[in-house]
Amino acid sequence: MIEVASLTIEYGRADRMIRAVEGVDFSLEAGRSLALIGPSGCGKTSVLFALAGLLTPGAGAVRIGGTPVSGPRRDVALILQNAGLLPWKTVWQNANLSLVLHGDYPARDAGAILDSLGLGTVRTRYPAELSEGMKRRVGIARALSTSPEVMLMDEPLASLDTLTRERIQDLFLTLWRRYRFSLVLVTHDIEEAAFLGQEIIVLTERPAQIKSVVANPEMGDRRYRESEAFRRVATQLREALQA
Amino acid sequence: MTADRKSRMRAMLEPIRASARFEKKTLAQQVLTYVVSFCILLLIWQIASMVINAMSHNELLPGPYRALSQVVKNAAELRRHFAASALRLVAAIATALFVAVPLGLVVGRERLLDRFLSPMLYITYPIPQVALILVLFIIFGAGNVTMVAMVALVLVFQILMSARGAAKNLDEDHITSVVSAGASRWQVYRHVVLPATIPDILTSLRVSIGLGVAFLYIAETTIMSNGLGFYIKKHMLFARDLAFAGIITLAVLGLILYLAIDALEHILCRWKHVRRKP
Repeated sequence: MIEVASLTIEYGRADRMIRAVEGVDFSLEAGRSLALIGPSGCGKTSVLFALAGLLTPGAGAVRIGGTPVSGPRRDVALILQNAGLLPWKTVWQNANLSLVLHGDYPARDAGAILDSLGLGTVRTRYPAELSEGMKRRVGIARALSTSPEVMLMDEPLASLDTLTRERIQDLFLTLWRRYRFSLVLVTHDIEEAAFLGQEIIVLTERPAQIKSVVANPEMGDRRYRESEAFRRVATQLREALQA
Repeated sequence: MTADRKSRMRAMLEPIRASARFEKKTLAQQVLTYVVSFCILLLIWQIASMVINAMSHNELLPGPYRALSQVVKNAAELRRHFAASALRLVAAIATALFVAVPLGLVVGRERLLDRFLSPMLYITYPIPQVALILVLFIIFGAGNVTMVAMVALVLVFQILMSARGAAKNLDEDHITSVVSAGASRWQVYRHVVLPATIPDILTSLRVSIGLGVAFLYIAETTIMSNGLGFYIKKHMLFARDLAFAGIITLAVLGLILYLAIDALEHILCRWKHVRRKP
């Protein structure tokens, strides 16, 4: 379970302090999904980085599985905007990087995950040789390689064309249902939030505060995009963002 | 041709072959480019020699044919001096890389260290290193150690500044990516900082080679009794064609080093030369 209590994040020194997040509270049961949506630069990535253990909160607490988050953890994986691939490493090396860092490689490797994501034939390629969609899939393979309990995603599908984006959203959905990790997605895309979040938190402009919480219980199917419920949630989110 | 000779020939051509692969040219095209450039250079040299000698009514600048014939005639002696200079230059490059790369990367990444060391670098960088040759001479005496230290000192600053700059300007997403995956500080250097900065380090090394050769020449003319600098200086006044044979050999040494760096870049930075997805 993820618990965030009165989270406040500040940057800079005392005389030039910028408050990015102020008093954010939420919790997420294990295996559920949550989307954080808000205007660009509002501080939603800061919330995600606090969950990833990359930022120390100025005030408040972040707990995963009952223990406070004090740094990056093995059971938490983060997927960045551009998939976070290292250009000098091949697909195989990128996918296995987390395992290498934890000392699990070569006893364990990401071969089966790469194969299941259709990347088995491009193991020796470098990221520059891949399409954007393939790069995102390699990022996913890396995140899955350590079998995380929590998957954090920071606008993972930004700058993709609509069809590729939808295809990878479908893939996220399939993987989330198969592996049952808790999913926290940061996005500024209304449709993405409505498609992947069982619960959607709308944040204010900086400093990020919770503006409203939208329940989205009917999500979880690929065809949800065509449903009336999906359109209703999207409209609700649009109105909340504009309010 | 014996198998041994064939394999030696293959080894000699490898840097050119590797360089050709970078530029997606065939080996033949690449060799042809070098041959054409060399011929143009010889032509310019020949014209300059004719003009200067005609104007001075003297044999001030020997033509390329005479210089090249001296290279062939004095091959054994030139090879000995070439080996001495090459050894010093390679030792200096290795020393400079060993000192400057780790230091530059750490200074570039660690803010506290940067705050203290950067002012020192800015103060010492503009000091002409050649001014320190006497100090090195007093410390190490007249010998190879002084030579290597002298050239290494020149290269260290260039490479250090370049490594520092490259480490400072890394894509922070790459760092975040590995830190979030649980990388220790050492692993960040091993998996991100070093591989990301290698292209810049090699570029600075490439730029510094010319400077290194120049300083090697100055140092060898000053305190050594062998090496190409010594050979060139010895013959410059009374046997200029021999001096120019030495200059050609020095140029060959530089060329070999450039090609070696190109080949090294090809091996270490293969990712830079892949066919990019449009």
